[in-house]
Amino acid sequence: MGVVTPARPTTGTRPARAAERVRNRDGWWAALFLAPQVLGLLAFLVFPLGFAIVLAFMRWDGLGEKSWVGFDNFAAQLTDPEFGTAVWNTVKLALLTVPVGLTLALLVALALNNVRGKTFYRVVYFLPVVTSSVAVAVMWQVILASGDYGVLNSTLHRWFGVTPPDWLDDPGWVIVAIAVVTIWSSLGLNVVIFLAGLQTIPPSLTEAARIDGAGPVRVLRSVTLPMISPTIFFSTVVAVISSFQAFDQIYVLVNPDHNEGARTIVYQVYDLGFQKFEFGMSSAAALILLALTLIVTFVQFAAQKRLVHYDS
Amino acid sequence: MSFPPSKKTLAAAALALTAALATACSGSGGGGAGGPAAAGKVTIRWSTWGSAEDVALYKAFNDDFMKRHPNIVLKMETVPKYEDYHPKLLTQLTSKTAPDVFFVGDDNIGKFVASGVLTPLNDRLAGPTSKSRPEDFFEGVYGGAKKDGKIYGVPNDTNPEVLWYGKKALQEAGITEDPAELNAAGKWTMAKYLEMNAKLKAAGKAGSIFWNWYGSTYSVIGGFGGKVWDGGRFVATTDPKSREALSTLAKGYADKTFLSADVLPASNGANTQFLRGKAGFYAGGRWMIEVVKKGGDQANYDIVPFPSETGAPMPGAVAASYLALNKDSRTPDEAFTFLTEFVSKEGQLLRLKSGGAVPSIKGAEQVVLEGGYPAHAQTLLDVRDTGFANYPEEVAVPGLTKDINDELMKVWTGKVGFDEGMTKLQALVDGRIG
Repeated sequence: MGVVTPARPTTGTRPARAAERVRNRDGWWAALFLAPQVLGLLAFLVFPLGFAIVLAFMRWDGLGEKSWVGFDNFAAQLTDPEFGTAVWNTVKLALLTVPVGLTLALLVALALNNVRGKTFYRVVYFLPVVTSSVAVAVMWQVILASGDYGVLNSTLHRWFGVTPPDWLDDPGWVIVAIAVVTIWSSLGLNVVIFLAGLQTIPPSLTEAARIDGAGPVRVLRSVTLPMISPTIFFSTVVAVISSFQAFDQIYVLVNPDHNEGARTIVYQVYDLGFQKFEFGMSSAAALILLALTLIVTFVQFAAQKRLVHYDS
Repeated sequence: MSFPPSKKTLAAAALALTAALATACSGSGGGGAGGPAAAGKVTIRWSTWGSAEDVALYKAFNDDFMKRHPNIVLKMETVPKYEDYHPKLLTQLTSKTAPDVFFVGDDNIGKFVASGVLTPLNDRLAGPTSKSRPEDFFEGVYGGAKKDGKIYGVPNDTNPEVLWYGKKALQEAGITEDPAELNAAGKWTMAKYLEMNAKLKAAGKAGSIFWNWYGSTYSVIGGFGGKVWDGGRFVATTDPKSREALSTLAKGYADKTFLSADVLPASNGANTQFLRGKAGFYAGGRWMIEVVKKGGDQANYDIVPFPSETGAPMPGAVAASYLALNKDSRTPDEAFTFLTEFVSKEGQLLRLKSGGAVPSIKGAEQVVLEGGYPAHAQTLLDVRDTGFANYPEEVAVPGLTKDINDELMKVWTGKVGFDEGMTKLQALVDGRIG
């Protein structure tokens, strides 16, 4: 067996230079390929975010001079009862939509996991997700309208003789109505995610549990839920952030100007910026929302260390 | 058989995408007010809000205009909802991509005037090519579009705020006097109006329905002999008569003598309640003709101005919108040609023949009177001729009108007590005007 001797370079520096040339050339190619993404990121994310942060410390009506006001906008928002209402409504919406929405999605995913024609059901449940949010809101407006005009209320009244609340006009009930619409329209996405999670569970694990005498509930509690806990965690984080950002359906479904029960933080941001032209104040409200979202997400990540299992 | 794209092809695509992004972000590609188009034609962009019916009327005007001016191509940009229109316009003005000519609502005109984005129009309106001269429009309707004698926007039409009333509803409440006849006799007083509202309430109906906007609120204040703005100061909460007017409104909303159309359920809204005779009066403009037509009993309804303290005529509120010329227009001459024809007598006759507004220009009154409906249609013209658009002091502060309305709504709905609400309202306005 012969010994392979590496070829000696003819000079000591030429290969190094060649390698450097290749590296430089690759670097340029890489920069070129990354440029569209980086430019898009700068133009549509970094710059607007930076501008919003600067604006939060200024007073500006969108056209006139900007003036520096320090933390006044933040102080004004944090002491404004309307902003307090918006925060409380947003929290209520999250508390209603996240646990109920995810539990429902998990139950549907568990039911669909072993049925035939799974793809068909997946498409059916996913349809609301790909439907325009404005169309969804208009449809629910027809369903939830008060009196004889609403499909739901007129049916309940005619068939059961009850007088249900004015879902979209009653400040006490409107957030429930919004939560129902939100859950309905996001159910399909969560079902698909949970189904994907369920399919990663090795059948041998559930079989082993059954052989050991575990019933369906015990299998769910001790095998299924721990195994899909990373999926549940992911869906929870996304659902909380989505509920904090709720706007389009609310904007179409109700007018939060006339029903303060529907005023959420994002509507407050829109109202301040695009109806009252107080862009500084609006940016401050948006940054408070960002901070709130970061805090809640941080808490969720802290909690997942104890609740989420990443072992296979 | 397909081949994977080469690195050079991909690089070229990346370069093209980068260039496209850079161009899009620079705001120089295709945006901005119109300019020279192909074959010596000039494109004029103009924007407005409006329903599908409004847009159809504007389109007819555009077609007619382009036939008469073959060198001008009009490009109309519409937004369905009034609330969504001004944010878009503001964004366009900030990014220098606004149309050459655009509508501005009376609650926003002051801001645009103050920020210097509009062209003063006095010289052009008085010039030889003008089809609409400054004196053709009633002084009070200019509102915030006129500052220091300079005209920055021309009223393109108006909607005087009057009280519509249902004769049967009044009769059912035992009211035998006709408001329009009382007005003609100089006896249409605030006291008489409130007395009628009380009778309607006693008969299980609402007295009046108001939308929560300056047109109704300030007309009631005027009816009590009060003032809203005086010497640049907001005095609606401090002037005794104005305060009495606001207090009367607050009490009326509390005991359901008055209804706020804004908070009525959509399924049983203001139109429905009025058409069903559940309320005696409904404050609105000429647009109400379409509403009462749907009721099928047009003869039941008539109009009367808001009552005054003494029964003598008083200035009423007039909703107005303005047509303004972008200061950055690259073709201001052609843009003005469009503007002046749009607001001219002929332009308004064409646009308003089936519309729900009142012409802003003198000499086009036949649009309002020729149908003979409502019976006292002349009232709409009388209010327009002597009325006022929202106060310049108020519209000069962006969003102030909405802030005032929001604060008042808290009082009308009982979320804030009257005295506390007045204190907060005054502080809010003082804070905003600085």
